[in-house]
Order: sequence, then C-alpha cells, then structure tokens
Amino acid sequence: MARLTQISSNALQEKWKFKTTQELVMLALTGVLLVSFSIFLPGFFGVNNFLVLLNSIAILGILSLGMGMIIMSRGIDLSEVAVMAGSWAIVLIFVDQGTSLPLAVFASLVFALAVGAFSGAVIAFIEAPALFVTLAVSFVVYGIVFWMSPSLVHYVPQDATALRFFGSGKLMGVPMPIIIFMSCALVMHLFLSRSVPGRFLYAQGDNPWAARLTGIPLRPLIVFEYMIVALLAWIAGLVWVGTSGSVQMTVVQSPYIFDVILVVILGGVSLVGGRGHTLSIVAGCLFIGTMLNALTIMNVSSDVQNIIRGSVLLLAIVIDNFIHPRDEETARQGD
Amino acid sequence: MSATKTKSDHQMQPVVEIRGGSKIYDGVHAISEVDFTLLPGEIHALTGENGAGKSTLSKVIAGAINLTHGEHLLDGITVNHKSPRQALDAGVCMVYQETSLVPTMTVAQNIELGNEKLINRNRKINIKAQQLLQSLNFHIDPVTPVALLGTAKRQMVEIARAVYNKARIIIFDEPTASLTPEEIVHFFNLLRNLKNSGVSIIYISHALEESLQISDRITVLRDGRKVLCALTQDMDRDKLVEAMVGSRKLTTPGRTGQAKSNRPPRGAKVLSVENVTMGNMVKNMSFSVYANEVVGISGLIGSGRTEIAKIISGAEKRNIINGGTIKFHGKPIRYRVPRQATKDGIAYITEDRKADGFFETMNVDENIYLAKLATRPGWRIFFSKAERRKLADYWIQRLNIMALNRKSTIIEYSGGNQQKVVIAKSLVQEPSVVIFDEPTRGVDVGAIPQIHEQIRQLAAEGKAVVVISSYLPEVLAVSDRILVAKLGRIVADFPSEEATEDKIMYAAIH
Repeated sequence: MARLTQISSNALQEKWKFKTTQELVMLALTGVLLVSFSIFLPGFFGVNNFLVLLNSIAILGILSLGMGMIIMSRGIDLSEVAVMAGSWAIVLIFVDQGTSLPLAVFASLVFALAVGAFSGAVIAFIEAPALFVTLAVSFVVYGIVFWMSPSLVHYVPQDATALRFFGSGKLMGVPMPIIIFMSCALVMHLFLSRSVPGRFLYAQGDNPWAARLTGIPLRPLIVFEYMIVALLAWIAGLVWVGTSGSVQMTVVQSPYIFDVILVVILGGVSLVGGRGHTLSIVAGCLFIGTMLNALTIMNVSSDVQNIIRGSVLLLAIVIDNFIHPRDEETARQGD
Repeated sequence: MSATKTKSDHQMQPVVEIRGGSKIYDGVHAISEVDFTLLPGEIHALTGENGAGKSTLSKVIAGAINLTHGEHLLDGITVNHKSPRQALDAGVCMVYQETSLVPTMTVAQNIELGNEKLINRNRKINIKAQQLLQSLNFHIDPVTPVALLGTAKRQMVEIARAVYNKARIIIFDEPTASLTPEEIVHFFNLLRNLKNSGVSIIYISHALEESLQISDRITVLRDGRKVLCALTQDMDRDKLVEAMVGSRKLTTPGRTGQAKSNRPPRGAKVLSVENVTMGNMVKNMSFSVYANEVVGISGLIGSGRTEIAKIISGAEKRNIINGGTIKFHGKPIRYRVPRQATKDGIAYITEDRKADGFFETMNVDENIYLAKLATRPGWRIFFSKAERRKLADYWIQRLNIMALNRKSTIIEYSGGNQQKVVIAKSLVQEPSVVIFDEPTRGVDVGAIPQIHEQIRQLAAEGKAVVVISSYLPEVLAVSDRILVAKLGRIVADFPSEEATEDKIMYAAIH
C-alpha cells in the first residue's frame, strides 16, 4: 500500500527508485547484448560496425523522440511517417519542377509544421481522439503528395550535394545522422526535464483534468506538441533523404510507424501517460538497433526478423506489467 | 481489549476471526499483529485514519488478498482464500467504496452478474431482480441501465447483489460517503434488518457519529495496529478520536469557530451570481460573495452546488441563451476554460482530488510549483529548482503538510496531506476568490481542524471564500453565512448565528 510508505518511507524509497527506471533495465539488456555479440559474433565488434549500428537507428530514433514525447502527453501521432515522407517528397517534386532547393526545403518545413498544427488544433479544440485524427491526416498527406506527382519514388537530383551531406556526410569523423540524432535527443531532454512547457507536458500526461483545472494552457500546449512531432518527422526525413538519395512513398503504407511505437514502449514510456524520459526512448532505440544489426550480420531473413521483433514487443509489455503491476490492488492505492 | 475478547468468546463462536494477522507490502506492514473477531448478527465498525489499515484488513476478510502472517478463520475453520470468488462462495461479500457495477448493463443483469447460466433470458432475471428489490424495499426498476442511476441507488443495487449471493458477512467500505442524510436513515434501517436476519456486518467509515450510531462494537486501527476494540455503548466521539490519533495533538481541539465574534466585518462584493442556468442541474441560481467572508453552500448531491462552482471557475459552461450573468468585481465574466478563471484570481478546489486535483507521478514540490508556473507572473521558460524548493517549503510549513520524504510521489501521502497539497496548489496562484468543494472529504480527523483554520485565515486575509460541503457541522463551523441549494436554486440564506443543522436540512429537503 503506497500510502503506508510514510511509516518507513526510506526503506521503500530505495525500492521505488529502482522500480521506476525501466530504461536502466533496457540499457543493461543492451549492454548484455553488446558484450555477448562482441564475443560470439564475428564482425560485430569494431568501431565501424558500431557507427553503422548507430547510423541505422538515427532515423528511427528521431521519429521515436517525437512519438515518445507525444505518448507521454497521452496523445499519439500515427501521421509521423507520412509527414516525414510527404514533406520531403514535396521538396523533390518542387525541385523537379524547377524551384530552387532552399525555397523548396523551406516550403516543406512550413508544410510539415502546418500539418502538425492542424492535427494539434483538431485534437485540442474539437477534442477528437488523436488516434483517428492523425490516422486520417496521414492519408490526407499521402493523397496530397500523390495528387502533386503520381510516383512512388522521388529521387534527389545529382547536384543537390547539400542534401546528401545530412545523410552521408561526416563531421569530425562522426556521421551526420548520429550527430543529428544526438542533438535532437539532447534538445528533447532539456525540453522535457528542464523547461516549463516540458513540465506542463508531464502534467497533462499524468492527469489532463487536473492540468486543466490548474490553469495550464492545455490547448496551445497540444498544438505545440504536435508541431514538435511534425518538426522531428521533418528532420528524420532530412536524414532519410540524405542517406538513401530518394523518397519512397511506400514507407507510409508499411508498418514502420509501429516500429517507432515499439521502440517507445520498449524503453519504458508508459501508454498510461506522464511516465518516461528521453533516456527511455534512447535506450529503446539502442536495444532495437543492436538486435537488428546482429540479426543482419547473422543473415537472418526478414520474416524471422519480424517474428523476433514481435516477440520482443510482447516480452517488453510482459516485463512492463511485471514491473508496474496494474491490478485492482495497486489501482486502489492511495485512496 | 482482552476483556472484551474473552467476554465475547464464550458467548458464541465468531464467524470471522483474525489472529495476529499481518500483511506486508514491499517490506512495509500494512497491518501488523491484528486480532479481529466478528460475531454472528453484529454490526462491527472499523475506524481509523487513512492508511491505518482498514481497507487492508477488510480485503483480507473478503479474500481479495492473503495474510502474510497470522491465522484467518471462518466459522472456526482456518481458511486461505485464493480469490474473491471463493470468499463469495463462503458467504463473504464486500461492497466497495467505488461501486463495482458494470454501468452499461441493467440493474437486473448486474445483480445476476457472475451467476449467469450458459443461456439467460432477460425476462427471467428481470422478474427475479424485481422480486428481490421489492423484498428489500428498494424502489429501483430492474431494467434501468446502471449508468442512469445515482450513487445512492447504485449502492442499493450492490447491496441487493450481496443479498442475492446469500451473503452472511457483508463488508461496507465508506457506504454513506455519497448518500444524503435521508438516504442514510433508510440505509441504516436496512442494515438493522440485515442484522436481524443474522447477517454479520463490518462497517468501515470516516464518519464517527455514524459508526457510533449504527454499530454494536467498534475496532480502531492506527498505523496498521489494533489500538482498541470495545462495545459501542462504552464509547464516545472523543474517546474514538483519541484512539485514532494517538499521542499526536490536534491543533484545535474539537470544532473550530468558537471565536466567531472576532471575525472581521465583510468587505466589498466580489462575486455576484445572477439567475445562472445550466441545463437541468442549475436553474436561476443567484447569490453574492463578499470579501472577508466565508459563504457555506449546503444541499443534497444533485442540488447544483458543485455545478455552480464549476461554472464560476470555467470548468463547465452555463447556457449561452438565458444563462444568467456572473459578475466578478462588477465585471461580467464568461469563461471558456478554467485557465481564464485562475488568471483572474478565481480558484476552484476540487471535491475529487484523485480525479482532477493532483498529479500522481509528481512529488509535493512539483505539484505546488506547477500551479505557480501556470500563472502569468510565475511563467518562465526554464524552471528553477531553488525557487521550487523555496515555494514548497513555505506552503509545507504554512499548511502543516507532513512531507516526511520530499522525494515521495504525492500518491503515497495520506488523504489529509494530499488535500493540503491540492489547497496549496490553488493558493499559490494568489486567488481573490477561493471555492472549496468538500474540503475535508476523505481527510484524516487530525487534519480537518487544520484545514478549517486555513479557510478562516483566508477570509481574514480579505479573500472571498466559498465552502461547499455535505457535512453540516463543517458548514456551521467555518461559515459566516450559509446558503442552501435545492434543485438548482438557492432556497435559503442564513447568517451563521441563526443557522442550525435542523434548519438547513429542512430547507434542503422541503
């Protein structure tokens, strides 16, 4: 009974602290995987492979930062991948039609933010469920892009080296995707743990009704949150275009968005809302990245990879329930 | 305590007996070494402050949880319930604080729940339910969906379900918390009927007067230990409070408000509510609130008293056409969201702190500081830990919050301390009008006088204070003026010198 902890709060405090850090469990598991793969898997250990590993999770990681944040606030954004692909497809379509690259990039940034603001406004002011609003928005974005240019793949023009730099370039020997991911994570961390809007976000995720009565500006906050998610989707798109040299619109129809959610839940961002940190998301990313990298080295087919991915998600949910049991007894605590 | 036990022992065999029962959660004793007996056909009151272990003990008896140590006997036979289902088979039934009915099902379906056969005919269960409800003298239509029933009727359905399941032992957890005084009278008659038909009842309540009125024996728990078990006729309120609180001192003994003559005269009109209407709940409600004054609003649940508070504070919206006017310092107001009200200095302190009062994943400091950040003068981009600490220190000291471990999340605190944090959260925004809705619901006895004192102090500081409460002694103790709400209107307005419990009740019902 939680309320009894006052009797010997110190004893429980130790335990409580340990309990809430699912991300530490994830980091430890990642460490175990890293060490065991390094020992048993030839070709895994090495600076180059580690850079490849980090590189491969950068896009997923940037998307997860947005998704994790929005899930902490009790929302969800299923349009993230559509915004990522859609906004950069627009850049390439514009450039193809003769617009200058910087102008096209600027237009796509405005487009992404507008989509985020629109979803946020519908969710905040009309109070429609985020799940359906963002699902619908993802179809709209997909439709707009196809209406502009009915092509599944858009290529980056040869002369756009600036774009390539963000995917394949290096800064002081570190690939740009890693630098972008890490800076996004750092900014997100500062936002969530130090800034006042970050505190409001946690308050909203913890108890939106209390947040409303307290006088927290919930509606502007929600619009702002969905704009941040869209911005992160746009940044992820930048890395993606730079890495692959093209935009494949098929990704919108793929289950990629569920990979993003997998990472977020795996790291310990609870679907209940108000719980989780930036570290949780990063830990989830590292774990998935390590696993997928090892599976690729072991030459495991994508079908088997899917089975493993699904099992890991199930395992994560089971562990989460084991660490934070939500039975009647705990639900009634503190009344 | 041992005297009573031996006396009862050779009278008759207890139906339930706990010997040296302990339950340990995470190394903390929720109850420890508790002895408890329940005799056939008795009403046994179980009292104690929040966190004293009442709920744990009753859950053990109901079979929802098992003892860590100790013996649990049912009719003299050691039992080890594996699930509530087995306890139910043994005739033990618990009527929960939050009702455990399925809202979308009808009354009859809820009563039948858990006993369905493979194929059910609605007509048959409706007839059965109708007969049962009539035999209990409950006026409820068995085909109504439970969602449409009020709290009191839901409770009746729960009781009917317990009777239907042939319960020999019924545990009531705060059964009267949401009942009106009239309904409480009916409820007590029902309890006596059940008792006369041989049912043993465990009655858990905060309201000491009720426990004294209805029970045969009283057991008091404190910090998970049994401190007292005595015949009710030997007990009175003061003895009970002493047993519950122990050596800790109450800041104000008994009721506050003895210094009524010293209260300052009321100041300017701050808030005036004129003919406010909202749907069916509030109809043409009018009243005014002045500075330096505490206005008590009494009335039954559903009289519109909570709704008017929510309308004033922007949590709900009054009718757009013919909705009436609300003036704050003479200026008409109509808020779309509570934020506008808090900005103007109108604070609403919720009746249900768990649902919309505090942030359960955060500690005391964070809860208080968040409210400050939500105001315009408190706003900043990056928050300051030093400021947070300073602010929390001030309020913890001012409201006497027992924050033993500042890192603990607020959900780990007792009801009284949680309530104080919720109050601090509102006061930190420096409101000029403070509306308290049920300020002491689910608050430990020791903290009630402290909260009343704070309410008086706010009025002395020149704020306009509204206190909405079902608990008449509370309204009488803190208010300068008492309004009575009935069916969405204010039907009476008493100065506190003239008001009595009888007058208020009469106005609220007739």
